[in-house]
Amino acid sequence: MCFNSFFFLFFFMLINYFFFVYFIMNGLSVFFEWEIISFNSMSIVMSILLDWMSLLFMMFVSLISSVVIFYSKSYMNSELNLNRFIILVLMFVFSMVLLIISPNLISILLGWDGLGLISYCLVIYYQNLKSYNAGMLTALSNRIGDVMILMVICWVMNYGSWNYIFYFDFMKNDYVMFIISFMIIIAAMTKSAQIPFSSWLPAAMAAPTPVSALVHSSTLVTAGVYLLIRFNYLLIDMFFFKVLLFLSILTMFMSGISANYEFDLKKIIALSTLSQLGLMMSILSLGFPDIAFFHLLTHAMFKALLFMCAGVIIHMMNDIQDIRYMGGLSLYIPLTSLCLNISNLSLCGIPFLSGFYSKDLILEMVSFNSFNLMVFILFYLSTGLTVFYTFRLIMYVMINDFNLMMIYNLYDEDYIMLNSMFVLLFMSLLSGSFLSWFIFSYPYMIYLPFNLKLMVIYVSILGSILGFMVSNMGIYSLNKLLLSYNLSSFLCLMWFMPNLSTYGLSYIYLNFSQILFKNIDMGWSEIYSGKGIFNILKNYSVFYNIYQMNNFKIYLFSFILWFMILFIFFFI
Amino acid sequence: MFFFILTNNNSNKMFFLFILFFSTLISISSNSWFGCWIGLEINLLSFIPLISNSKNLLSVETSLKYFLTQSLASINFLFMILIKFSLLKNFNMNNIISIMMNSSLLMKMGSAPFHFWFPNIVEGLSWMNNFMLMTWQKISPMILLSYYFNKNFLIFMIIMNLIIGSLGGLNQTSLRKLLAFSSINNLGWMIFSIMISENLWLFYFLIYSMMIFMMISLFFLMNMYFMNQLFINNMNFFIKLNLLINFLSLGGLPPFMGFMPKWIIINFLLINKFYFLTFIFMMTSLIIIYYYIRIIYSSFMFNYFKMKWVNLLMKNNMSLINLSSFISISSMILSTFIFM
Repeated sequence: MCFNSFFFLFFFMLINYFFFVYFIMNGLSVFFEWEIISFNSMSIVMSILLDWMSLLFMMFVSLISSVVIFYSKSYMNSELNLNRFIILVLMFVFSMVLLIISPNLISILLGWDGLGLISYCLVIYYQNLKSYNAGMLTALSNRIGDVMILMVICWVMNYGSWNYIFYFDFMKNDYVMFIISFMIIIAAMTKSAQIPFSSWLPAAMAAPTPVSALVHSSTLVTAGVYLLIRFNYLLIDMFFFKVLLFLSILTMFMSGISANYEFDLKKIIALSTLSQLGLMMSILSLGFPDIAFFHLLTHAMFKALLFMCAGVIIHMMNDIQDIRYMGGLSLYIPLTSLCLNISNLSLCGIPFLSGFYSKDLILEMVSFNSFNLMVFILFYLSTGLTVFYTFRLIMYVMINDFNLMMIYNLYDEDYIMLNSMFVLLFMSLLSGSFLSWFIFSYPYMIYLPFNLKLMVIYVSILGSILGFMVSNMGIYSLNKLLLSYNLSSFLCLMWFMPNLSTYGLSYIYLNFSQILFKNIDMGWSEIYSGKGIFNILKNYSVFYNIYQMNNFKIYLFSFILWFMILFIFFFI
Repeated sequence: MFFFILTNNNSNKMFFLFILFFSTLISISSNSWFGCWIGLEINLLSFIPLISNSKNLLSVETSLKYFLTQSLASINFLFMILIKFSLLKNFNMNNIISIMMNSSLLMKMGSAPFHFWFPNIVEGLSWMNNFMLMTWQKISPMILLSYYFNKNFLIFMIIMNLIIGSLGGLNQTSLRKLLAFSSINNLGWMIFSIMISENLWLFYFLIYSMMIFMMISLFFLMNMYFMNQLFINNMNFFIKLNLLINFLSLGGLPPFMGFMPKWIIINFLLINKFYFLTFIFMMTSLIIIYYYIRIIYSSFMFNYFKMKWVNLLMKNNMSLINLSSFISISSMILSTFIFM
């Protein structure tokens, strides 16, 4: 099953690649349309849009998913129901493809809902309590986005069909479009875990690592960004985009800070995904959709690679995800640490790896165009924070002493997992340049003063030095004192926002429902409908029996009595 | 009934059965009140030998009780007829004499508030005699009721019937008394249907008697008189199923046959704007279904009580059971094909 789906998806990737090259060279764009029903002035059509953006994204999605499925053959080999897992992953890929190729809100909804549902099934795959909680949080946060898209479908019915791409140029100033844009932005924010809805992404790390590599690095969380890229012509000078800018910059900053306090390997990577998502959203809301798309794709490559390396390390550490137990791994597992290092450095934006092309371009565009000071500071600060937690991670995992056990066996030669990582390694080295040559038919014109140009390198070096110093802290260091406890917990727990989605929501309602249940369900409604009525009827019946068990002459006498009563009663 | 009489070598009773049938026909097809009274008297006289069996002290006592109440009712009826002839020259229904005439007919039937003899007597009779008592004996008083009734009085009687039929049966363990109270409850429905039209009453009565026949024949074949005898033997699954279906059908649960007459009567109730009465019909019907289900639900749980040393051989009689189950389940749907 694994091999079949791997080959199928790889072949699909190659088909997409060739079509992508052909389409982008000739500037082609193909639109298929089947009209299902035309009803009263509303036409329901099934349409497929194949232009270079959707083909490119499909190519990357199928590449990552094929590699992940191949990887999970070895990662999940102790799983009894591996076929079930592979089928879930394939259904996920199918929903993603449906989302990518559809210019039509109904099929976007199908793909979107499918993504949410299948990611729930995948997060709860290990059926323990933590996975159930995480899955519920994931599914319900994504559900808000689904509801928003449903409402958009209702509002778009004003225009006669659900193919939104036809209406952007003509209807931009309409009130309906105003509402639609608001809802679309909220839907994208839930899916891509921006600030009010950001609590599900670290929690969803309870999923198996291949799921995290596929879903939470490159496909599910980028679906929101992709939707906004498609809707970009509509949203580009609306007020909500400025709100989105604000929130996404804050997301970027907050997750960068929180990743510095985390000790769980997958959570650090999740928070770094969140930070990069904030980066994508913010550059999108500044008005550069193609750069956002570029960063989406390169980020997908190295983040999936990073998750897969994390999976190998977790397997080796006897399923422990805490980085305080790891250390010095670069000596023992050279190939895996090669992949880990390259993906980490690509994340930081080290020159001429893939992440450099997209991140550096983003930062230079931000500096070149005149935005306000807060945008500028937070962008560069978050870049520095990215390097900070990356270097901290490298120090903890690769360089310091090994902390797990006395006797250990670090097994690196699992070539199934390694081969899959090598494919992504190759792509993560080359995809930056490859994409920049394809997507940008002419480069952006950027003219910056010298220090501003090197500002990226300054913050990177600063971040790396800080990362090195932080990981060398001992027991008596300042950040481990109780004095800084308040500040540390505020920054570590993602600024207490997950409580909005979890404890804050559930406590009031559960408390109230306990009161209701005890007083009404088990209280008054038993008196008035359940046991109470039964007791009343039973007592009536027992009381009636007194009359029934009598002598016969009493009956005859009662007949006479009844005659007289009825006579008198009805006579009057 | 014929079967029972034939098997018991008692062909004398065939004669009285014949006269019983004839007496009802006399009563309902006469054009004078005297003829009606004559039919009622002959009915009484021919039923007494059917139920009395001089070897059994209980059945002698039962037949005596029956004789006393029914003759009291007949005397009353005759007297009221004579008063009506002498005092009232014209025919208008809702007056005082009709109250008295209706009361005596109600006493004949065993309807509340004159019903106290009914469970007693039912307890003393065998199943086939019960069947006669519950179905055939109701025909002539009902039809006579439809000739001259008092609407307000009868509505009061209906309410009393319903309530007593439902509440009285809650505390019973004897199957005969249970069916007696159920019969009193159904009398309430039937009296209302008489007030609407005789055709409607005939419809209700036929379906009711068919359901009662199915149940009584089942109890008769298994010789069961009390609730604790129901599931203590090793019953076949189909017999239990048949019992379940019959009880639910008698209670008026939708896919079964017994729902149809109740539905139509509720329809007429609502057309004629008897809203409060509808409510009472519904609620008492619920209580009745409660005690039916209380009897049979334990037979269909996964772990039921089954004694294997009491063996119930029903090999020869399965066709009747299957037929009755089939009729109970499918009648409602088949009737739509017949009546379109």
